[in-house]
Amino acid sequence: MRRQRVEHLSPADYALAVVFTTCAAMVISTVRADESIVNSKHDLSAKGPGPIRAVHETEVCIFCHTPHNAAPQTPLWNRENPQTHYRIYQSSTTDARIDQPSGPSKMCLSCHDGSIALGNVLSRPVTQPIVMTARTIPPGTIDLTNDLSDDHPIGFRYDRALSNTDRQIRPPEVVTPQLPLGSHGEMHCTTCHDPHNNELGDFLRITDRMSAICVSCHDLSGWTHASHATSRKRTPARVVDPYERLKYATVTDNGCINCHKIHSARRPERLLRAFREEDNCLNCHSGAVATFNIAADIGKRSNHTGRLRTGVHDAAENPFTMRRHVECADCHNPHAAQPNPIGVVRGTLGPLVKGPNLHVKGVTLTGRPTDNATFLYEICFKCHADGISRPRRNQTRQITQTNTRLEFQPSNPSFHPVTGPRRNPDVVSLIPPLRTGSIITCTDCHNSDSARSFGGSGANGPHGSIFEPLLVRNYEQRDFTAESAEAYALCYGCHSRESIIGDESFPLHRLHVVDLRTPCSVCHDAHGVYRGQGDGSNHSNLMNFDLSVVTPANSPSGRRVAFVDTGRLAGNCTLMCHGREHVNFPYANSTAGRATARKRGLMSGVNR
Amino acid sequence: MKLRTLWPMATLVAAASLGGWASGGIEGSKHDFSDRPWAGDDTCGVCHTPHRRVAPKAAPLWNPKADLSRRFGTAIGRRATATEAPRAGTGTTMCLRCHDGTVADAIIAGKQSERPANQQRWSMFRAVHGASDHPVGVAYPQMDRGYRPMPTVVALGTVLLPQGRVECVSCHDPHNSADTSYMLVTSNAGSALCLTCHNK
Repeated sequence: MRRQRVEHLSPADYALAVVFTTCAAMVISTVRADESIVNSKHDLSAKGPGPIRAVHETEVCIFCHTPHNAAPQTPLWNRENPQTHYRIYQSSTTDARIDQPSGPSKMCLSCHDGSIALGNVLSRPVTQPIVMTARTIPPGTIDLTNDLSDDHPIGFRYDRALSNTDRQIRPPEVVTPQLPLGSHGEMHCTTCHDPHNNELGDFLRITDRMSAICVSCHDLSGWTHASHATSRKRTPARVVDPYERLKYATVTDNGCINCHKIHSARRPERLLRAFREEDNCLNCHSGAVATFNIAADIGKRSNHTGRLRTGVHDAAENPFTMRRHVECADCHNPHAAQPNPIGVVRGTLGPLVKGPNLHVKGVTLTGRPTDNATFLYEICFKCHADGISRPRRNQTRQITQTNTRLEFQPSNPSFHPVTGPRRNPDVVSLIPPLRTGSIITCTDCHNSDSARSFGGSGANGPHGSIFEPLLVRNYEQRDFTAESAEAYALCYGCHSRESIIGDESFPLHRLHVVDLRTPCSVCHDAHGVYRGQGDGSNHSNLMNFDLSVVTPANSPSGRRVAFVDTGRLAGNCTLMCHGREHVNFPYANSTAGRATARKRGLMSGVNR
Repeated sequence: MKLRTLWPMATLVAAASLGGWASGGIEGSKHDFSDRPWAGDDTCGVCHTPHRRVAPKAAPLWNPKADLSRRFGTAIGRRATATEAPRAGTGTTMCLRCHDGTVADAIIAGKQSERPANQQRWSMFRAVHGASDHPVGVAYPQMDRGYRPMPTVVALGTVLLPQGRVECVSCHDPHNSADTSYMLVTSNAGSALCLTCHNK
């Protein structure tokens, strides 16, 4: 019925209706009290809406402005400037030169630092201030105090020099004129706040919904498509912040304020919402808001957060000299992190950094720090390579190397193919789709045991695992371990158990591993052998004996432990192990052809 | 029936006319200096003279002794441009003749009982290049969203904008004997006078 009526409207009627609606909208918008200072929180007159107001004074403007005998600064200022010396914002990553607040900012602070009584105005004698319900601004979020180190910096020049140094700050000329800077291009309170207009809440000039006001100046790499900018997940009250209800209901609407508090931040540097760095993440990533429960992962036996040290991580830290620590932000950039591609399965992730690790700092294969890691291992190298605080394994081998960057050099005599493919035809046990020449990543072995891409239900990534050292599957390293699919599940994930104990490569695998119960790790060093410490003749095939099990044997050339590569699937050993002495003990495998046939899938029964 | 409806109306009319009467004349106002020896029992003569003897453009007949040579500092708005020397003919010069920070003070000093607790308020428009007073002699800013449209202000009739400019008489009525403080043209309760022009 109604539809019909609309259709029968003449063009003139329609125009009239449009005009009427527009006028109505204008009237409504003009009568909205929020747009005026009158009835806003800054209306301190006796009729003001807030708990802080005058007892008798009915004028609205007089608390800040007076037409005569004002302070000698525009706009007809009616208050003393506070004489406070402020603690100003400091950060290791800011390129701005932040000074004491000046000009309009001081005017705001004449109430908001709590040092001057609200009713003390120049137009009144000092002895007769305006009587207010509160003498000074009451403590709380609106009282900025003399400590401005936990507030967004003001009093710095926002100029081309700044935006040229800090690429994540937009050039000032492209910033909307809705956010005015001071007469010398400096930022003030009034850049973000319009004290006369509370239409958007918090007297903001541009809405902070979806961080619109923040991204006017801040141009963070990867933010546009980051989960924290786009997720429509709900942020229930007191979950993201136990002390404060967030302004909006979803992650995307809250944007920056999910993690940052622009004023009175609990961790002042970088204005973080929670004091402990990890709490900024875990409040959501513990099953409450985000899909995966990372808190559950990092609570496991072997985890990446045993070194959580509040206040140690620094976004500007030098990976070579930093103190040992790990924070979420060491591997993740919350401004750029995205979900993993949907439906990833093992082997398809590839070595390049994916969604969760985009725009993270790292150390390249050549040992140079980079602001934007390209390969996943570059992120690992930040802590596990050249740094003085890198973890050192307690295992004693023939060759000890704790710098993983050196262990994985592509020119090494042997290494797991993390930094590049290998062309070793001796690895006949690989389970398709893996083959000689495949590339794997650190996280193919070091991952949470509940990782989704390994058939679990948890998050991917080395957050925490029940298997040490942070391995996705069990990997027994103790001597005399009874061989089973579970004992060496990590190795058997890629290297077919059938092939290994079927003696397709080393013809005595079954004897050593099954019959004599020697773990894989006694002979093989999983990461690799650095070319500076060994070569293809003595450390091929990841051979690097564990000296806690293998001891030197008396050979004609003295007591020693040695492996000699004598060609394809052939070699000899000189060592003492499990009470047996090998002196130049040779082996060779003639069944390589059969193994290759198996690898090509001609035989069934792939064991994972 | 009819009376009952008329009563409130009649009361309103009476109140309105009373109010108009009360705010009328200069007699009894703070500008009534007729009891001072120097005024010579002449209320108007302090400021006005019955015959044109000065600048013919000056609309009310100003006292020729007004010193127009002084320059005054006024607040300069964000976009308004203030003329430093007050313009003739808009009354502002006449106000400044006394309210330049010296004369009015002296007048008040002559009669201690009238001296307000904060004497500063009489010392307005000090001859310094500060920005401590609302600009006068400036064109009404018509293109600024921070101000209401000039036709709206003019139509309201509360604030006078002589020659489209903001002057002393925009806010002050020098002949006002009503008890609005500062001889304002209307009460500034709720900052109503400020908000007549300022769209804040």
